[in-house]
Amino acid sequence: MSLNVANVSLVFGNGGEQIKALDNVSIDLQPGQLMAVLGPSGAGKSSLLAVCGGLQTPTSGKIRVGETEITGMSGAALTCIRQQQIGFVFQQSNLLSSLTAVDQLLLLVNMRGKRVGQADRERAIKLLDEVGMSHRLNRRPSQLSGGERQRVGIARAFMMNPKILLVDEPTSMLDQHRGRQIVELLVRECHEHGVATLMVTHDHGILDNADRVVDISDGQLSERVQ
Amino acid sequence: MFVAIRDLKFAKGRFFLMGSVVALVAFLVITLSGLSAGLVKANISGLMALPATHIAFEGTDHPGYRNTMIERYMWEGWAGQDGVRHAEPMGHTVFNARTEDNTPLEIALWGIMPDSMIEPAVSEGVGLGIDDDGVVITRDLLDDGVKVGDTIILDRVLTELKVVGILNESRNIGHLPVIYAPLRKWQEATYGPPGGPPPGEQLPDIVFDFVSIILLQLEDGVDIAALDSQNETLTVDRNGYFAASTGYKSEVQSVQMIQSLLFVISAVVIGAFFSIWTIQRTKEIGLIKALGASNAYVLKDALGQAILIIGVGTLVGLLCMFWFYQSVKDTELPFMLERATITTSIIMLLIAGIVGATMSIRRITKVDPIIALGRDQ
Repeated sequence: MSLNVANVSLVFGNGGEQIKALDNVSIDLQPGQLMAVLGPSGAGKSSLLAVCGGLQTPTSGKIRVGETEITGMSGAALTCIRQQQIGFVFQQSNLLSSLTAVDQLLLLVNMRGKRVGQADRERAIKLLDEVGMSHRLNRRPSQLSGGERQRVGIARAFMMNPKILLVDEPTSMLDQHRGRQIVELLVRECHEHGVATLMVTHDHGILDNADRVVDISDGQLSERVQ
Repeated sequence: MFVAIRDLKFAKGRFFLMGSVVALVAFLVITLSGLSAGLVKANISGLMALPATHIAFEGTDHPGYRNTMIERYMWEGWAGQDGVRHAEPMGHTVFNARTEDNTPLEIALWGIMPDSMIEPAVSEGVGLGIDDDGVVITRDLLDDGVKVGDTIILDRVLTELKVVGILNESRNIGHLPVIYAPLRKWQEATYGPPGGPPPGEQLPDIVFDFVSIILLQLEDGVDIAALDSQNETLTVDRNGYFAASTGYKSEVQSVQMIQSLLFVISAVVIGAFFSIWTIQRTKEIGLIKALGASNAYVLKDALGQAILIIGVGTLVGLLCMFWFYQSVKDTELPFMLERATITTSIIMLLIAGIVGATMSIRRITKVDPIIALGRDQ
């Protein structure tokens, strides 16, 4: 499933106090592609993730997830889209403090109104094994390192077979070595599962892992030729 | 309640604290309900035991036991009327008294016809009517050392009452212990000269033509107003004759106000707890929503957690109340353990707690999932 962003702008404020977080950006991301979005703080990276993930409604333009246009959808419909189509990897892993590693993934099953079964548990364990966390299944976030938490976050993002993956600065809280490991893991998972992945970062060191690289500055995108 | 249960297991200390506060509030509410019911009963337990559907007072504006005087023609006017199953004359006077060893007492002396529907069953000794001076006392007077065979002397009038029977229960009016005497004995004490008639003389018949009230058992449909008008009485129903007891109405109102305040306080306290808990969890709630949880899912989880804590806390509070009851039931503390009182208190408490929790939890719907990105836009 592809991600298509067409002429999207996001403007905050009104009258003379307007801030253009995104300025007429367009992206066409195919399944299995990983696009890195590089830019300094305040360039519009998070805004881009927010509109692509249905967390923010753009001021203008259209966003399509596969064949479904999500701009203009209601909150409940967007929640459904996020549940079924979109996976998130957050900057600080953002795990729930009271859930074990396995439960972080099983939560997504429960959210859909499904009873958590053995098959779900096996899938969660398999994903955690893929990210090298099979020895930490019953640990809570406070018992995990930063890198381990990020790995669990990545496994969680893939739990419900998302078609689109949105990744927010996955290496910002990690050292260089661990950061590389995480990105390599993401790339591998993205290619293996055929997921269109949009990754925002300010870390130049990980760009060689991306299929495509775009720069963002003052809300405007420009793609680098690779 | 996927997250809720795991939260409870993870943060045991925090939820133990919250649960303890709920338990404490529950204990307070339920115990105070029992205490207030006991207090009310201590005021009117004697009236509550009367087998009367109505009581007729002298026909004034406000019925009261201390200032009512019924003449013979009034109670005879009620008796024998259609729909009037019973019309029993009864006297009520408050006396200071003392036992033979000079223990001071303050008592309510009730004069009744022996073997009438009013006479209570004794658990020790004999009933009224066998001895003209014989009286039956409430068991509260046992604490003053009174027993069968003792003589109680009424101050000022110097009438002597011989204790012939003791009730198994506590019977009070206006927080005074009740002594049941034969009607004639009551009339002698209330209307006769101090110390009784001079030797060789009898009291005039007119003394025995007055009582305080008429106890009535009426069938449905009796024209009370007409009979009141005919007999110059003022008749009130059961609630009315409770309210006529000195201080009863103000006690009930005070107690009801305390109970209402406690329910409000419990809603506020529980609401405050969950409000703070929700604020602390705002980021996690945003994250759960960003991952695809609906408002309904998050609300159900949070409310389920709140109901669990309130339910368990209330149960613990109830158990503490039972323990408290066991420790005070043989003391003078007025405490009444009644199923209806406790059930009502628990239901009101649960409702108050859930309302309080719901008011604070509903802010969950306003949490923007975008905060999962670490920005509040």
